Amino acid sequence: MPREAEPSLNEKQFVLQALQENLRLDGRELDQYRPLDLSFGDQYGVADVTLGRTRVLAKATAEVTVPYADRPLDGIFTIATELSPMTSPAFEVNRPTETEVLLSRLLEKTVRRSGALDTESLCLVAGQKCWSVRVDVHVLSHDGNLIDASCLAVVAALRHFRKPDTSMDAGVLTVYTPAEREPVPLSWLHSPFCVTWSFFGDEADIAVLDATWLEEQVRVGSCTISLNKHGEICQIAKLGGTPVDAVALLQCTSVALTKVKEFSDLLDTKLAEDLKRRDKGGFMAELRAENER
Amino acid sequence: MASDHLFVLPGETIDPALVPTHKKHPLRLGPGLRHIPPSDIVPTVAGQLITNPLKNSMWVEFNSQRYIPTTGDLVLATVTRNAPEAYLCSLSAYTPAATLPHLAFEGATKKTRPQLAPGQLVYARVALAHRHMDPELECVSAATGRADGLGPIAAGNGCVFDVSLGFARRLLMARSREDGGVGVLEMLAGQDPEVVVGGAGGGGGLAFETAVGRNGKVWVGSESAKTVVLVGRALQETDRARLGLEGQRRLVKRLLREMR
Repeated sequence: MPREAEPSLNEKQFVLQALQENLRLDGRELDQYRPLDLSFGDQYGVADVTLGRTRVLAKATAEVTVPYADRPLDGIFTIATELSPMTSPAFEVNRPTETEVLLSRLLEKTVRRSGALDTESLCLVAGQKCWSVRVDVHVLSHDGNLIDASCLAVVAALRHFRKPDTSMDAGVLTVYTPAEREPVPLSWLHSPFCVTWSFFGDEADIAVLDATWLEEQVRVGSCTISLNKHGEICQIAKLGGTPVDAVALLQCTSVALTKVKEFSDLLDTKLAEDLKRRDKGGFMAELRAENER
Repeated sequence: MASDHLFVLPGETIDPALVPTHKKHPLRLGPGLRHIPPSDIVPTVAGQLITNPLKNSMWVEFNSQRYIPTTGDLVLATVTRNAPEAYLCSLSAYTPAATLPHLAFEGATKKTRPQLAPGQLVYARVALAHRHMDPELECVSAATGRADGLGPIAAGNGCVFDVSLGFARRLLMARSREDGGVGVLEMLAGQDPEVVVGGAGGGGGLAFETAVGRNGKVWVGSESAKTVVLVGRALQETDRARLGLEGQRRLVKRLLREMR
Protein backbone atom coordinates (compact mmCIF):
# COMPACT_ATOMS: atom_id res chain seq x y z
CA MET A 1 0.00 0.00 0.00
CA PRO A 2 1.54 3.31 -1.00
CA ARG A 3 2.23 5.79 1.76
CA GLU A 4 2.26 9.55 1.64
CA ALA A 5 5.79 10.97 1.48
CA GLU A 6 6.64 12.37 4.90
CA PRO A 7 7.97 15.93 5.00
CA SER A 8 11.60 16.28 6.03
CA LEU A 9 12.64 17.08 9.60
CA ASN A 10 13.58 20.61 8.54
CA GLU A 11 10.11 21.29 7.20
CA LYS A 12 8.37 19.84 10.26
CA GLN A 13 10.46 21.84 12.70
CA PHE A 14 10.33 25.02 10.66
CA VAL A 15 6.54 25.03 10.32
CA LEU A 16 6.28 24.85 14.12
CA GLN A 17 9.00 27.41 14.74
CA ALA A 18 7.40 29.84 12.30
CA LEU A 19 3.92 29.35 13.78
CA GLN A 20 5.30 30.15 17.21
CA GLU A 21 6.42 33.46 15.72
CA ASN A 22 2.95 33.96 14.16
CA LEU A 23 4.26 33.26 10.68
CA ARG A 24 2.95 30.93 8.02
CA LEU A 25 4.90 29.66 5.05
CA ASP A 26 2.63 31.43 2.59
CA GLY A 27 2.56 34.69 4.52
CA ARG A 28 -1.05 34.40 5.68
CA GLU A 29 -2.47 35.33 9.07
CA LEU A 30 -3.26 32.38 11.32
CA ASP A 31 -7.01 32.80 10.82
CA GLN A 32 -6.95 33.66 7.15
CA TYR A 33 -8.16 31.46 4.31
CA ARG A 34 -6.29 31.07 1.06
CA PRO A 35 -7.81 32.83 -1.96
CA LEU A 36 -11.17 31.14 -2.44
CA ASP A 37 -12.81 30.88 -5.82
CA LEU A 38 -16.10 29.31 -6.81
CA SER A 39 -17.39 28.78 -10.34
CA PHE A 40 -20.31 26.91 -11.85
CA GLY A 41 -20.36 24.77 -14.97
CA ASP A 42 -22.59 25.06 -18.01
CA GLN A 43 -24.82 22.32 -16.69
CA TYR A 44 -26.93 22.78 -13.59
CA GLY A 45 -25.34 21.35 -10.44
CA VAL A 46 -21.64 21.53 -11.26
CA ALA A 47 -19.55 23.53 -8.79
CA ASP A 48 -15.80 23.99 -8.87
CA VAL A 49 -14.12 25.27 -5.71
CA THR A 50 -10.51 26.42 -5.69
CA LEU A 51 -8.87 27.10 -2.35
CA GLY A 52 -5.24 28.01 -2.96
CA ARG A 53 -3.87 24.90 -4.66
CA THR A 54 -6.70 22.68 -3.44
CA ARG A 55 -9.39 22.14 -6.05
CA VAL A 56 -12.64 20.23 -5.63
CA LEU A 57 -15.37 19.63 -8.20
CA ALA A 58 -18.85 18.54 -7.15
CA LYS A 59 -21.60 17.38 -9.49
CA ALA A 60 -25.20 16.85 -8.49
CA THR A 61 -27.48 14.52 -10.46
CA ALA A 62 -31.02 13.22 -9.96
CA GLU A 63 -32.91 10.18 -11.19
CA VAL A 64 -36.28 8.61 -10.46
CA THR A 65 -36.09 5.42 -8.36
CA VAL A 66 -38.08 3.36 -5.86
CA PRO A 67 -37.83 4.71 -2.28
CA TYR A 68 -36.50 2.58 0.57
CA ALA A 69 -39.18 0.27 1.96
CA ASP A 70 -38.87 1.65 5.51
CA ARG A 71 -39.10 5.26 4.34
CA PRO A 72 -41.83 5.34 1.69
CA LEU A 73 -42.34 9.11 1.98
CA ASP A 74 -38.69 10.16 1.68
CA GLY A 75 -36.52 10.64 -1.36
CA ILE A 76 -32.94 9.40 -1.50
CA PHE A 77 -29.98 11.71 -1.03
CA THR A 78 -26.40 10.43 -1.20
CA ILE A 79 -22.97 12.06 -1.25
CA ALA A 80 -20.22 10.05 -2.93
CA THR A 81 -16.61 10.96 -2.31
CA GLU A 82 -13.75 9.20 -3.94
CA LEU A 83 -10.13 10.28 -3.77
CA SER A 84 -8.40 9.18 -6.94
CA PRO A 85 -4.67 8.55 -7.39
CA MET A 86 -4.63 11.73 -9.47
CA THR A 87 -4.98 13.66 -6.21
CA SER A 88 -2.03 12.12 -4.45
CA PRO A 89 0.04 8.97 -5.04
CA ALA A 90 -1.03 7.71 -1.61
CA PHE A 91 -4.66 7.24 -2.68
CA GLU A 92 -5.77 4.06 -4.43
CA VAL A 93 -8.96 3.22 -6.25
CA ASN A 94 -11.37 0.98 -4.29
CA ARG A 95 -9.32 1.18 -1.13
CA PRO A 96 -10.60 4.05 0.99
CA THR A 97 -7.96 5.68 3.15
CA GLU A 98 -8.69 7.20 6.53
CA THR A 99 -8.81 10.67 4.94
CA GLU A 100 -11.50 9.58 2.53
CA VAL A 101 -13.67 7.88 5.16
CA LEU A 102 -13.44 10.91 7.46
CA LEU A 103 -14.25 13.26 4.60
CA SER A 104 -17.36 11.37 3.53
CA ARG A 105 -18.55 10.94 7.14
CA LEU A 106 -18.15 14.65 7.83
CA LEU A 107 -19.96 15.67 4.67
CA GLU A 108 -22.71 13.22 5.50
CA LYS A 109 -23.11 14.65 9.00
CA THR A 110 -22.90 18.25 7.86
CA VAL A 111 -25.18 18.24 4.85
CA ARG A 112 -27.41 15.18 5.12
CA ARG A 113 -28.01 14.71 8.82
CA SER A 114 -28.48 18.43 9.45
CA GLY A 115 -31.50 18.33 7.15
CA ALA A 116 -30.17 20.85 4.65
CA LEU A 117 -32.10 19.16 1.86
CA ASP A 118 -35.77 18.45 2.46
CA THR A 119 -35.89 14.77 1.43
CA GLU A 120 -39.66 14.58 1.77
CA SER A 121 -39.99 16.97 -1.16
CA LEU A 122 -38.20 14.40 -3.32
CA CYS A 123 -41.07 11.94 -2.96
CA LEU A 124 -43.18 11.58 -6.14
CA VAL A 125 -45.53 8.65 -5.46
CA ALA A 126 -45.51 7.39 -1.88
CA GLY A 127 -43.73 4.05 -1.68
CA GLN A 128 -43.37 3.79 -5.44
CA LYS A 129 -41.45 6.64 -7.01
CA CYS A 130 -39.04 9.21 -5.65
CA TRP A 131 -36.09 11.30 -6.76
CA SER A 132 -32.64 10.03 -5.88
CA VAL A 133 -30.27 12.99 -5.62
CA ARG A 134 -26.62 12.15 -5.71
CA VAL A 135 -23.60 14.43 -5.35
CA ASP A 136 -20.25 13.20 -6.60
CA VAL A 137 -17.24 14.91 -5.07
CA HIS A 138 -14.07 14.81 -7.14
CA VAL A 139 -10.88 16.10 -5.55
CA LEU A 140 -8.77 17.38 -8.43
CA SER A 141 -5.84 18.72 -6.45
CA HIS A 142 -4.99 18.17 -2.81
CA ASP A 143 -3.14 20.85 -0.89
CA GLY A 144 -4.80 20.49 2.48
CA ASN A 145 -8.17 21.42 3.93
CA LEU A 146 -10.19 19.09 1.74
CA ILE A 147 -13.10 19.11 4.18
CA ASP A 148 -13.91 22.83 3.97
CA ALA A 149 -13.45 22.94 0.20
CA SER A 150 -15.55 19.81 -0.41
CA CYS A 151 -18.34 20.97 1.87
CA LEU A 152 -18.54 24.30 0.08
CA ALA A 153 -18.51 22.51 -3.28
CA VAL A 154 -21.32 20.13 -2.25
CA VAL A 155 -23.54 22.90 -0.90
CA ALA A 156 -22.87 25.08 -3.94
CA ALA A 157 -23.60 22.22 -6.34
CA LEU A 158 -26.89 21.39 -4.62
CA ARG A 159 -28.04 24.97 -4.49
CA HIS A 160 -27.19 25.43 -8.14
CA PHE A 161 -28.83 22.17 -9.15
CA ARG A 162 -32.23 22.02 -10.90
CA LYS A 163 -34.14 18.77 -11.19
CA PRO A 164 -36.57 18.13 -14.06
CA ASP A 165 -40.12 19.24 -13.44
CA THR A 166 -42.75 16.52 -13.00
CA SER A 167 -46.53 16.27 -12.96
CA MET A 168 -49.01 13.60 -11.81
CA ASP A 169 -52.04 13.18 -14.00
CA ALA A 170 -54.56 10.36 -13.34
CA GLY A 171 -51.88 8.14 -11.86
CA VAL A 172 -49.41 8.81 -14.69
CA LEU A 173 -46.12 10.45 -13.72
CA THR A 174 -44.61 12.69 -16.38
CA VAL A 175 -41.00 13.90 -16.21
CA TYR A 176 -40.49 16.92 -18.46
CA THR A 177 -37.35 17.67 -20.41
CA PRO A 178 -35.78 21.12 -19.98
CA ALA A 179 -37.20 22.08 -23.39
CA GLU A 180 -40.74 21.39 -22.24
CA ARG A 181 -40.60 22.89 -18.77
CA GLU A 182 -37.91 24.81 -16.94
CA PRO A 183 -36.21 22.52 -14.34
CA VAL A 184 -36.95 23.33 -10.69
CA PRO A 185 -34.49 23.87 -7.84
CA LEU A 186 -34.33 21.53 -4.85
CA SER A 187 -36.18 22.38 -1.69
CA TRP A 188 -33.25 23.71 0.30
CA LEU A 189 -33.66 24.55 3.96
CA HIS A 190 -30.31 25.96 5.15
CA SER A 191 -26.68 26.04 3.99
CA PRO A 192 -24.19 24.52 6.43
CA PHE A 193 -20.45 25.03 5.91
CA CYS A 194 -17.43 23.39 7.52
CA VAL A 195 -14.61 25.35 9.12
CA THR A 196 -11.58 23.32 10.14
CA TRP A 197 -9.15 24.43 12.80
CA SER A 198 -5.73 22.81 13.08
CA PHE A 199 -3.83 22.82 16.35
CA PHE A 200 -0.08 23.01 16.78
CA GLY A 201 2.38 22.89 19.67
CA ASP A 202 2.68 20.44 22.57
CA GLU A 203 -0.24 22.05 24.41
CA ALA A 204 -2.22 22.58 21.18
CA ASP A 205 -2.18 26.30 21.98
CA ILE A 206 -1.74 27.52 18.39
CA ALA A 207 -4.94 27.36 16.36
CA VAL A 208 -4.73 27.80 12.60
CA LEU A 209 -7.43 28.02 9.94
CA ASP A 210 -7.24 26.48 6.47
CA ALA A 211 -4.07 24.41 6.91
CA THR A 212 -2.07 23.50 3.83
CA TRP A 213 -1.07 19.90 3.23
CA LEU A 214 2.33 20.43 4.86
CA GLU A 215 0.71 21.98 7.93
CA GLU A 216 -1.79 19.12 8.08
CA GLN A 217 1.06 16.66 8.21
CA VAL A 218 2.62 18.46 11.17
CA ARG A 219 -0.48 19.35 13.23
CA VAL A 220 -1.24 17.65 16.56
CA GLY A 221 -5.00 17.77 16.19
CA SER A 222 -7.85 19.28 14.26
CA CYS A 223 -11.43 20.26 14.90
CA THR A 224 -14.11 20.65 12.24
CA ILE A 225 -17.07 22.85 13.10
CA SER A 226 -20.09 22.86 10.80
CA LEU A 227 -22.60 25.64 11.11
CA ASN A 228 -24.84 27.85 9.03
CA LYS A 229 -24.87 31.62 8.78
CA HIS A 230 -27.41 31.89 11.62
CA GLY A 231 -24.88 30.36 13.99
CA GLU A 232 -26.71 27.04 14.30
CA ILE A 233 -24.04 24.41 14.83
CA CYS A 234 -24.69 21.16 12.95
CA GLN A 235 -21.77 19.17 14.29
CA ILE A 236 -18.37 19.50 15.89
CA ALA A 237 -15.80 16.80 15.12
CA LYS A 238 -12.63 16.64 17.17
CA LEU A 239 -11.34 13.21 16.30
CA GLY A 240 -8.46 12.32 18.62
CA GLY A 241 -5.28 14.35 18.78
CA THR A 242 -4.03 16.51 21.62
CA PRO A 243 -6.75 17.78 23.99
CA VAL A 244 -7.76 21.41 23.43
CA ASP A 245 -8.87 23.91 26.04
CA ALA A 246 -12.67 24.35 26.07
CA VAL A 247 -12.44 28.15 26.15
CA ALA A 248 -10.17 28.07 23.11
CA LEU A 249 -12.76 25.96 21.28
CA LEU A 250 -15.47 28.50 22.05
CA GLN A 251 -13.24 31.18 20.59
CA CYS A 252 -12.74 29.00 17.50
CA THR A 253 -16.50 28.62 17.08
CA SER A 254 -17.12 32.36 17.11
CA VAL A 255 -14.40 32.95 14.50
CA ALA A 256 -15.89 30.10 12.47
CA LEU A 257 -19.22 31.92 12.39
CA THR A 258 -17.67 34.99 10.74
CA LYS A 259 -16.00 32.75 8.16
CA VAL A 260 -19.26 30.93 7.45
CA LYS A 261 -20.98 34.25 6.88
CA GLU A 262 -18.28 35.09 4.33
CA PHE A 263 -18.78 31.72 2.58
CA SER A 264 -22.51 32.24 2.58
CA ASP A 265 -22.20 35.71 1.04
CA LEU A 266 -19.75 34.42 -1.58
CA LEU A 267 -22.10 31.60 -2.54
CA ASP A 268 -25.10 33.96 -2.75
CA THR A 269 -23.25 36.44 -4.97
CA LYS A 270 -21.91 33.69 -7.23
CA LEU A 271 -25.34 32.10 -7.57
CA ALA A 272 -26.88 35.47 -8.41
CA GLU A 273 -24.16 36.12 -11.00
CA ASP A 274 -24.72 32.71 -12.54
CA LEU A 275 -28.47 33.21 -12.67
CA LYS A 276 -27.97 36.55 -14.38
CA ARG A 277 -25.65 34.91 -16.92
CA ARG A 278 -28.24 32.23 -17.72
CA ASP A 279 -31.21 34.58 -17.74
CA LYS A 280 -30.85 35.77 -21.32
CA GLY A 281 -33.83 37.88 -22.32
CA GLY A 282 -35.22 37.87 -18.76
CA PHE A 283 -37.73 35.04 -19.22
CA MET A 284 -36.50 33.03 -16.24
CA ALA A 285 -39.04 34.49 -13.81
CA GLU A 286 -41.95 33.65 -16.11
CA LEU A 287 -40.69 30.17 -16.88
CA ARG A 288 -40.32 29.25 -13.21
CA ALA A 289 -42.74 26.61 -12.05
CA GLU A 290 -42.13 26.61 -8.30
CA ASN A 291 -43.90 28.78 -5.77
CA GLU A 292 -42.19 31.34 -3.55
CA ARG A 293 -41.49 29.85 -0.14
CA MET B 1 25.65 29.60 -25.38
CA ALA B 2 24.39 30.30 -28.84
CA SER B 3 20.78 29.40 -29.22
CA ASP B 4 17.87 29.76 -31.58
CA HIS B 5 14.64 30.44 -29.78
CA LEU B 6 12.66 27.90 -31.72
CA PHE B 7 9.55 26.28 -30.30
CA VAL B 8 9.08 22.60 -31.10
CA LEU B 9 6.17 20.20 -30.60
CA PRO B 10 6.38 16.45 -29.96
CA GLY B 11 6.93 14.48 -33.15
CA GLU B 12 7.81 17.53 -35.20
CA THR B 13 10.60 17.19 -37.75
CA ILE B 14 13.65 19.25 -36.92
CA ASP B 15 15.26 21.14 -39.76
CA PRO B 16 18.65 19.43 -40.38
CA ALA B 17 20.22 22.88 -40.72
CA LEU B 18 19.57 23.45 -37.01
CA VAL B 19 21.45 20.35 -35.87
CA PRO B 20 24.93 21.46 -34.81
CA THR B 21 27.95 19.92 -36.53
CA HIS B 22 31.37 19.69 -34.98
CA LYS B 23 34.59 18.15 -36.27
CA LYS B 24 35.70 16.39 -33.07
CA HIS B 25 32.82 15.97 -30.60
CA PRO B 26 30.01 13.52 -31.27
CA LEU B 27 26.50 14.99 -31.23
CA ARG B 28 24.93 14.87 -27.75
CA LEU B 29 21.15 14.84 -27.33
CA GLY B 30 19.74 16.20 -24.09
CA PRO B 31 16.33 15.86 -22.45
CA GLY B 32 13.26 15.96 -24.67
CA LEU B 33 14.93 14.66 -27.84
CA ARG B 34 15.02 11.15 -29.19
CA HIS B 35 17.20 9.64 -31.85
CA ILE B 36 15.43 7.35 -34.29
CA PRO B 37 17.97 5.48 -36.41
CA PRO B 38 19.38 6.07 -38.89
CA SER B 39 19.32 9.85 -38.76
CA ASP B 40 16.06 11.26 -37.42
CA ILE B 41 15.95 13.45 -34.34
CA VAL B 42 12.44 13.90 -32.94
CA PRO B 43 11.32 16.02 -29.99
CA THR B 44 9.28 14.11 -27.40
CA VAL B 45 8.01 17.16 -25.50
CA ALA B 46 6.88 20.66 -26.32
CA GLY B 47 9.40 23.36 -25.53
CA GLN B 48 12.20 25.55 -26.70
CA LEU B 49 14.85 23.90 -28.85
CA ILE B 50 18.31 24.91 -27.71
CA THR B 51 21.51 24.06 -29.52
CA ASN B 52 25.09 24.53 -28.43
CA PRO B 53 27.57 24.35 -31.35
CA LEU B 54 30.62 24.54 -29.06
CA LYS B 55 29.74 21.37 -27.18
CA ASN B 56 27.89 19.94 -30.17
CA SER B 57 24.77 19.33 -28.10
CA MET B 58 21.07 20.07 -28.35
CA TRP B 59 18.10 19.68 -26.05
CA VAL B 60 14.57 20.92 -25.42
CA GLU B 61 14.06 23.36 -22.57
CA PHE B 62 10.60 22.79 -21.04
CA ASN B 63 8.85 23.16 -17.74
CA SER B 64 7.26 20.25 -15.91
CA GLN B 65 6.42 18.95 -12.46
CA ARG B 66 7.51 15.32 -12.55
CA TYR B 67 11.19 14.80 -11.90
CA ILE B 68 13.06 12.13 -13.83
CA PRO B 69 16.54 11.58 -12.36
CA THR B 70 19.50 12.16 -14.69
CA THR B 71 23.17 11.50 -13.94
CA GLY B 72 24.98 14.53 -12.55
CA ASP B 73 21.87 16.36 -11.28
CA LEU B 74 22.13 18.11 -7.92
CA VAL B 75 19.07 17.13 -5.88
CA LEU B 76 17.59 17.68 -2.44
CA ALA B 77 16.73 14.24 -1.10
CA THR B 78 14.91 13.24 2.09
CA VAL B 79 16.13 10.11 3.88
CA THR B 80 13.19 7.75 4.33
CA ARG B 81 14.92 4.78 6.00
CA ASN B 82 18.18 3.07 6.67
CA ALA B 83 18.90 -0.10 4.72
CA PRO B 84 22.03 -2.29 4.97
CA GLU B 85 24.91 -0.43 3.29
CA ALA B 86 22.73 2.46 2.11
CA TYR B 87 20.10 5.02 3.01
CA LEU B 88 16.89 5.04 1.02
CA CYS B 89 15.92 8.56 0.00
CA SER B 90 12.91 10.11 -1.65
CA LEU B 91 13.45 12.68 -4.40
CA SER B 92 9.79 13.47 -4.92
CA ALA B 93 6.49 11.83 -4.08
CA TYR B 94 6.32 10.12 -7.47
CA THR B 95 9.88 8.92 -8.12
CA PRO B 96 11.07 5.51 -6.89
CA ALA B 97 13.31 5.57 -3.81
CA ALA B 98 16.92 6.54 -4.52
CA THR B 99 19.79 4.81 -2.71
CA LEU B 100 22.53 6.78 -0.98
CA PRO B 101 25.38 4.37 -0.01
CA HIS B 102 26.75 4.78 3.51
CA LEU B 103 30.23 5.26 2.09
CA ALA B 104 29.28 7.96 -0.44
CA PHE B 105 30.18 10.79 1.96
CA GLU B 106 33.43 12.71 2.30
CA GLY B 107 35.95 10.72 4.36
CA ALA B 108 33.40 8.07 5.27
CA THR B 109 34.54 4.64 6.35
CA LYS B 110 32.49 1.83 7.82
CA LYS B 111 33.08 3.26 11.30
CA THR B 112 32.90 6.99 10.64
CA ARG B 113 29.94 7.16 8.30
CA PRO B 114 27.37 9.85 9.12
CA GLN B 115 24.29 8.67 10.98
CA LEU B 116 21.19 10.04 9.29
CA ALA B 117 17.73 9.83 10.85
CA PRO B 118 14.59 9.35 8.75
CA GLY B 119 13.44 12.74 7.50
CA GLN B 120 16.98 14.09 7.29
CA LEU B 121 17.58 16.38 4.31
CA VAL B 122 20.58 15.65 2.09
CA TYR B 123 22.02 17.70 -0.77
CA ALA B 124 23.38 15.13 -3.16
CA ARG B 125 24.35 14.41 -6.74
CA VAL B 126 22.72 11.71 -8.86
CA ALA B 127 25.53 9.26 -9.53
CA LEU B 128 23.60 6.68 -11.48
CA ALA B 129 20.29 7.00 -13.24
CA HIS B 130 18.91 4.31 -15.47
CA ARG B 131 15.39 4.02 -16.72
CA HIS B 132 14.85 0.56 -15.26
CA MET B 133 16.81 0.89 -12.02
CA ASP B 134 16.50 2.90 -8.83
CA PRO B 135 18.68 6.00 -8.99
CA GLU B 136 21.83 6.17 -6.87
CA LEU B 137 23.02 9.31 -5.08
CA GLU B 138 26.41 10.44 -3.79
CA CYS B 139 27.58 13.25 -1.52
CA VAL B 140 31.22 13.11 -2.57
CA SER B 141 32.99 13.67 -5.85
CA ALA B 142 34.41 10.35 -7.02
CA ALA B 143 37.32 12.10 -8.77
CA THR B 144 38.54 14.35 -5.95
CA GLY B 145 37.11 12.68 -2.83
CA ARG B 146 35.77 16.07 -1.70
CA ALA B 147 32.23 16.92 -0.70
CA ASP B 148 32.14 20.22 -2.67
CA GLY B 149 29.23 21.56 -0.63
CA LEU B 150 27.21 18.34 -0.76
CA GLY B 151 26.10 16.47 2.34
CA PRO B 152 23.45 16.36 5.04
CA ILE B 153 21.68 19.62 5.90
CA ALA B 154 21.42 20.10 9.67
CA ALA B 155 17.91 19.42 10.97
CA GLY B 156 16.16 22.39 12.52
CA ASN B 157 17.68 24.82 10.07
CA GLY B 158 15.64 26.44 7.33
CA CYS B 159 12.85 25.02 5.24
CA VAL B 160 12.22 23.44 1.85
CA PHE B 161 10.02 25.05 -0.78
CA ASP B 162 8.65 23.31 -3.85
CA VAL B 163 9.10 24.99 -7.22
CA SER B 164 8.62 23.80 -10.79
CA LEU B 165 11.45 21.89 -12.45
CA GLY B 166 12.05 24.55 -15.08
CA PHE B 167 12.42 27.21 -12.40
CA ALA B 168 14.88 25.03 -10.45
CA ARG B 169 16.95 24.60 -13.61
CA ARG B 170 16.94 28.36 -14.20
CA LEU B 171 18.08 28.96 -10.63
CA LEU B 172 20.93 26.50 -11.12
CA MET B 173 22.27 28.14 -14.27
CA ALA B 174 25.76 29.56 -13.92
CA ARG B 175 24.44 32.97 -15.00
CA SER B 176 20.88 32.59 -13.77
CA ARG B 177 20.18 36.30 -14.12
CA GLU B 178 21.32 36.69 -17.71
CA ASP B 179 20.34 33.30 -19.13
CA GLY B 180 17.55 32.21 -16.82
CA GLY B 181 16.02 35.59 -16.05
CA VAL B 182 15.95 34.92 -12.30
CA GLY B 183 17.41 37.65 -10.12
CA VAL B 184 15.12 37.36 -7.15
CA LEU B 185 17.72 35.92 -4.78
CA GLU B 186 20.27 38.63 -5.58
CA MET B 187 17.63 41.29 -5.09
CA LEU B 188 16.68 39.89 -1.69
CA ALA B 189 20.32 39.69 -0.67
CA GLY B 190 20.73 43.37 -1.58
CA GLN B 191 23.04 42.95 -4.56
CA ASP B 192 20.71 44.72 -6.92
CA PRO B 193 21.24 48.49 -6.81
CA GLU B 194 17.75 49.19 -8.12
CA VAL B 195 15.96 47.56 -5.20
CA VAL B 196 16.27 49.96 -2.29
CA VAL B 197 13.75 49.73 0.51
CA GLY B 198 14.63 51.74 3.60
CA GLY B 199 17.30 49.97 5.67
CA ALA B 200 20.84 51.14 6.26
CA GLY B 201 22.69 49.16 3.61
CA GLY B 202 20.07 49.65 0.90
CA GLY B 203 18.58 46.80 -1.05
CA GLY B 204 17.08 43.78 0.63
CA GLY B 205 20.21 43.06 2.66
CA LEU B 206 18.84 39.78 3.96
CA ALA B 207 21.28 37.10 5.13
CA PHE B 208 20.31 33.63 3.96
CA GLU B 209 21.68 30.60 2.17
CA THR B 210 20.05 28.36 -0.39
CA ALA B 211 20.50 24.93 -1.92
CA VAL B 212 18.63 24.29 -5.16
CA GLY B 213 17.75 20.74 -6.13
CA ARG B 214 16.87 19.85 -9.69
CA ASN B 215 14.00 17.78 -8.33
CA GLY B 216 12.12 21.03 -7.87
CA LYS B 217 13.02 21.68 -4.25
CA VAL B 218 14.80 24.71 -2.84
CA TRP B 219 16.16 24.73 0.69
CA VAL B 220 16.41 28.18 2.28
CA GLY B 221 18.30 28.61 5.53
CA SER B 222 18.65 31.67 7.73
CA GLU B 223 18.93 32.75 11.34
CA SER B 224 15.52 34.38 11.25
CA ALA B 225 12.35 32.49 10.34
CA LYS B 226 10.93 35.67 8.81
CA THR B 227 13.72 35.76 6.21
CA VAL B 228 13.19 32.11 5.30
CA VAL B 229 9.46 32.64 4.77
CA LEU B 230 10.10 35.77 2.73
CA VAL B 231 12.69 34.16 0.45
CA GLY B 232 10.51 31.09 -0.01
CA ARG B 233 7.47 33.16 -0.88
CA ALA B 234 9.47 35.27 -3.32
CA LEU B 235 10.71 32.13 -5.09
CA GLN B 236 7.33 30.43 -5.25
CA GLU B 237 5.56 33.58 -6.37
CA THR B 238 8.16 34.24 -9.11
CA ASP B 239 7.70 30.69 -10.32
CA ARG B 240 3.91 30.65 -10.12
CA ALA B 241 3.33 34.02 -11.82
CA ARG B 242 6.27 33.57 -14.27
CA LEU B 243 7.62 37.00 -13.36
CA GLY B 244 10.26 38.73 -15.45
CA LEU B 245 13.10 40.71 -13.90
CA GLU B 246 11.00 43.85 -13.57
CA GLY B 247 8.14 41.90 -11.98
CA GLN B 248 10.58 40.26 -9.59
CA ARG B 249 11.91 43.65 -8.57
CA ARG B 250 8.39 44.84 -7.78
CA LEU B 251 7.62 41.63 -5.88
CA VAL B 252 10.75 41.89 -3.76
CA LYS B 253 10.01 45.51 -2.94
CA ARG B 254 6.47 44.64 -1.92
CA LEU B 255 7.55 41.70 0.23
CA LEU B 256 10.28 43.69 1.95
CA ARG B 257 7.85 46.50 2.70
CA GLU B 258 5.37 43.99 4.17
CA MET B 259 8.07 42.53 6.37
CA ARG B 260 9.02 45.82 8.02
